[in-house]
Amino acid sequence: MKFRCERDDLVEALGTAGRAVANRGGALPVLSGVRMELTGSRLQLTGSDLDLTIAVSAEVGGETDGVAVVPAKIASDVVRSLDAGSVEVLVEGDEAQISSGRFSSSIRLLPADEFPRLAPPAERAVTLDAADLATALSQVVPAASNDDARPILTGVLMAAEGSGLRLVATDSYRLAVRDLEGSAVLDEGQSVLVPSRALRELVRALGEGEVTLRLGEREATFEVDTMRLTTRLIEGEFPNYRGLIPSTYPNRMVVSREALGDAVRRVRLMAREATPVRLTMSDDGVELDAVTQDIGQASEAVDARFEGSELTVGFNPDYLLDGIEVTPGDEVALETTDANKPAVLRAIGREDFLYLLMPVRI
Amino acid sequence: MAERTILHLDMDAFFASVELLRRPELRGRPVVVGGSGPRGVVAAASYEARSYGVHSAMPSTRARRLCPDAVFLPGDHAHYAAVSSRVMAILRDVTPLVEPLSLDEAFLDVTGARRLHGDGPTIAAALRARILDEEGLTCSVGVAPVKFLAKLATGAAKPTASRNGPVFGPGVAVVEPGRELEFLHPLPVAALWGVGPATRARLDRYAVATVGDLAALPLATLESALGRAQGRHLHDLSHGRDPRLVEPDQPLKSISHEETFPADRRDPDALRADVVRMADAVAARLRAAGRVARTVTVKVRFGDFRTITRSTTPAAPVATGPAVARAAKDLLAAVDVGEGVRLLGVGVGNLVAPGSHGGGEQLSLLDVDGPDPVGDDDAWERATDAIDRARERFGADAVVPASLATPTGIRVRRRGDQQWGPDQVEPGGADTSDHAL
Repeated sequence: MKFRCERDDLVEALGTAGRAVANRGGALPVLSGVRMELTGSRLQLTGSDLDLTIAVSAEVGGETDGVAVVPAKIASDVVRSLDAGSVEVLVEGDEAQISSGRFSSSIRLLPADEFPRLAPPAERAVTLDAADLATALSQVVPAASNDDARPILTGVLMAAEGSGLRLVATDSYRLAVRDLEGSAVLDEGQSVLVPSRALRELVRALGEGEVTLRLGEREATFEVDTMRLTTRLIEGEFPNYRGLIPSTYPNRMVVSREALGDAVRRVRLMAREATPVRLTMSDDGVELDAVTQDIGQASEAVDARFEGSELTVGFNPDYLLDGIEVTPGDEVALETTDANKPAVLRAIGREDFLYLLMPVRI
Repeated sequence: MAERTILHLDMDAFFASVELLRRPELRGRPVVVGGSGPRGVVAAASYEARSYGVHSAMPSTRARRLCPDAVFLPGDHAHYAAVSSRVMAILRDVTPLVEPLSLDEAFLDVTGARRLHGDGPTIAAALRARILDEEGLTCSVGVAPVKFLAKLATGAAKPTASRNGPVFGPGVAVVEPGRELEFLHPLPVAALWGVGPATRARLDRYAVATVGDLAALPLATLESALGRAQGRHLHDLSHGRDPRLVEPDQPLKSISHEETFPADRRDPDALRADVVRMADAVAARLRAAGRVARTVTVKVRFGDFRTITRSTTPAAPVATGPAVARAAKDLLAAVDVGEGVRLLGVGVGNLVAPGSHGGGEQLSLLDVDGPDPVGDDDAWERATDAIDRARERFGADAVVPASLATPTGIRVRRRGDQQWGPDQVEPGGADTSDHAL
């Protein structure tokens, strides 16, 4: 295999494929590498940890076709260290030679025949607007759990809902739901559970244009421009989230999103060691306060319109802030029942998003 | 406020004396209670053994060299705890203001009890007589207006060991109000709480040998030599001032288990199994105390005695073995155990009542929905209730985590197991010594 390309293109391609590379080689050392395949002028780079696979292709000046697996980190470090300009890659025997200007480096290859073969992506494809999907994912992915001990909650549920697609994630403390109208990706009643880690990577790659989604039995594949991201689906039953969303709320507060967010950011500095930020809502507006023993306290009043009876609810400030940040619009509504029941953040005048969060007992 | 009367009561060679009650044939012989393995330490030595220079906290191997004729007994923590709770009950008959320091030591504030039971020395003598009568055990009592002087007085009341065997002490020693400094100032400065080797080295530069020397130093000098807090603290002590009150039933602050391995452990899987076992025991005590914990701590001592602790605050307070174990395993995963672990500990801290005011319990959505389809924790909490009831009826090894089953049986962690070091090297790598105690 032999090709020439621009240093910047190769850095970017190695970086993208490298994000799926297993952190530790683990059981299969070859997974610490990036697979390079040259066909004519098309170079495809693939990284995988078996759960997540990212393949990206680039146009290069190809000379001799071939396949090789280079250690991802070291190859990426070497290419990144080069000055902008042309880079030549030559694979001979069990080494890849990377040269640029008067620099030359030989890197020992990993055994290419051990690199896992991926099943071809499903035939059936649907396309979605990339920017819409990126927005929707960034609204729900933060609510997914990072705790691998609860694998189901590390996933984002993608479910058919009416004529559209619904995205749901929860870590059991908060729950985010977003509907994408007119995006009929799944059949009626069908749903899949996609690892949130894969979706975080997808969001990074989504720009303008379209994204193609192919759903298989066990994998989902997303194609954006020159990148193809394939992720294993999580097996199991997602919690019955519908039953968690109360249908009525006695108390509703409407408040400026920016003012509430700024106040939470300031007051939470005194909410240390898992103490909550308390919101006292009344006809006068909302008062936030936090007290941590032996550290200090902070409070701030924010103008708000409130209907209902005065109450105080405590929240984990990070969870509350996550919700405020992903709710669209200039104003948000916070709907509450009492200090121990789930509260709901909604966008004003929009029915396609909600963020449910459980209080901290006070 | 009227002068307080504080008693400090300390059982004489407690563990050894309790053993002698069960084995009267050993009376008069040197008896050592503690770990017998290569890393064991002496928990208690009878006064006969002390005549040979054996004392508690000494490595068992050294004790054996000093006194080869001594009878070495393994500790029976459960039995000592039972005797101790009877002794503490006797103390609480006099006043509810009893602050146990350990199984064999307690402070009492008898200020209010004087009217009913007589003055401090009278109460002290009555307690000694009753404990001897009901439990067959002797103790020593210090009487003073403040805590630390009472504890120092106990030292003066204690029996001592001599070459010719034990010498009985007075049993009760009294520091009269107004005569505190007379008692205190001739004592070596190391007698004060909080004066260890490092502090002593600093004080040496000021030619401080006795507490009286210390009291003569200006406060400012002491503060610059030792830092503001410790300087002021020692200054107060040297003038006989100790504002600390006797605090009955101190709120539980933390619960932990730790274990020294017979040989350093390197295998992460084995260490994870140890974590599960200790987490299970810690969580059981946590629930028995009716608390949930906000923080989980792991302590690791390496072969070279370098010791690290790591702690974490899970999103929600924990009270079950699996929840404690999960947090502890995450902490352990970030520690390089390749060089070998000598001691491992699992603890919980920042204890709060479940759902107490300001408890800051993060509520879970899945609690709202009743039975939870995925949340391991909720299922565990329900299972844990059942486990606790089963253990109450059938013993601690009635239900254990599956990872604790070994070909040679089940390893459970009991409170006080192994606190004096591991016993012999475990057969086949399985640590069954816990059961042997």
